[in-house]
Amino acid sequence: MISKAKSTRDVLLSLVSTFVAFLLLTPLISGCTGAMKYYTRPEFSVSSLKRIAVLPLENYSTDGYAGEKIRKAVITEMLSRGVDVIEPGEITRALNELKVQSRSSLSVKELQGMQKMLGVDAVLTGSVESFGMSTGISATYPEVSIHLVLLDAGSGTILWSVWRTSGGANFWTRHFGAEGASLSETARKVVKGAIDTLF
Amino acid sequence: MKENIRQIRRSRLSQAKMYNGYIMTDKRYLRMKLLRNSFLLGAILIVFAGSGCRSGGVSTFHVRQDMDFSFIKRVAVLPLDNLTNERFAGDIVRQMVISELLATGLVDVVVPGEVVAAVDKLGTRSISSLTADQIKSLGSTLKVQAFILGSVEKFGETRIGNTTAPEISITLMMADASSGSIIWSATRTTGGASFMARHFGARSDTMSESVLKVVREALNTLMKY
Repeated sequence: MISKAKSTRDVLLSLVSTFVAFLLLTPLISGCTGAMKYYTRPEFSVSSLKRIAVLPLENYSTDGYAGEKIRKAVITEMLSRGVDVIEPGEITRALNELKVQSRSSLSVKELQGMQKMLGVDAVLTGSVESFGMSTGISATYPEVSIHLVLLDAGSGTILWSVWRTSGGANFWTRHFGAEGASLSETARKVVKGAIDTLF
Repeated sequence: MKENIRQIRRSRLSQAKMYNGYIMTDKRYLRMKLLRNSFLLGAILIVFAGSGCRSGGVSTFHVRQDMDFSFIKRVAVLPLDNLTNERFAGDIVRQMVISELLATGLVDVVVPGEVVAAVDKLGTRSISSLTADQIKSLGSTLKVQAFILGSVEKFGETRIGNTTAPEISITLMMADASSGSIIWSATRTTGGASFMARHFGARSDTMSESVLKVVREALNTLMKY
């Protein structure tokens, strides 16, 4: 008798646990955004990169200084990987002397002018698509999305291109209100993740 | 009375059998089996109905069947028309298109600055209304086989019930640089939070992820060719 009662309870328990497991797993597996893709020119080797110029990034976000914040993070990250980066003030001076109209989208002629002036192998440019706190259905989370492009200073060809985003709130933040990464931490992480694809 | 109850229990136990290590009667076993199957079916249905990989977006595309796309090795992405209230929607989607095209590894993309310089040189007022001759002229200047042009029709958050979710709608086209004719076009719209996101707090796409998804899905219709 005890065995029968126990067996029924066990079956019911296993059913309930299966259902709960399904419900718990579903939020984890859903939201199937494809993996971040990037491009590296086949004949390009990062070891040939000795000196680069990081141009001011185009800022499409609501934060007026997002472009500069990400640019600084990119410079720091490149320097930490052993690549010599031209001082931002020197770049501004070169852009002024070359009378560049759009600082984020240089023509091949302008790139060649920069190469002559600053002695750089490549120019890193790009844009910040989002930089700020976004509100989801149940949580607020930092959202940072960037696009970085490395251009060959001599020919103007694209050597490397990457688009990266931080994504939304994680499972623990959404369901248990766990404290997620701050906006600055997220930005650093996104920049690091993007630069990692180059090295 | 007690004896009667004992007899009933004894008779039931005598009918009981071992099922998967549990002692049950046939009737109870079948009932449990039915219950278990309906639970599993329910759970599977919920997963399918509300999974994040739903094909909720709307997509239409056209490809010129007599066209051989393998000759296209280098393309230029023109600035997209921004038909939204979001100031940089066109630029954001354009950057994404460039990034995704490069990531496929199938085509080389002209530096955006070079495209701007060539368009300026052409002296055209609107990039959205280029004539076939202008496209041909741009093609020879930039040494490309095709152009990507298009527009962003919707870019922002939309409110559905008590939740908000990204809503994006784009149209991308490819123009043949030698003839100036449109050889591919795709419209892709996505929007709204999934069932699981709305009801169970599942992860929903951020704005950037939605843009990526829309662009990737639109370009995928071209990559097949």
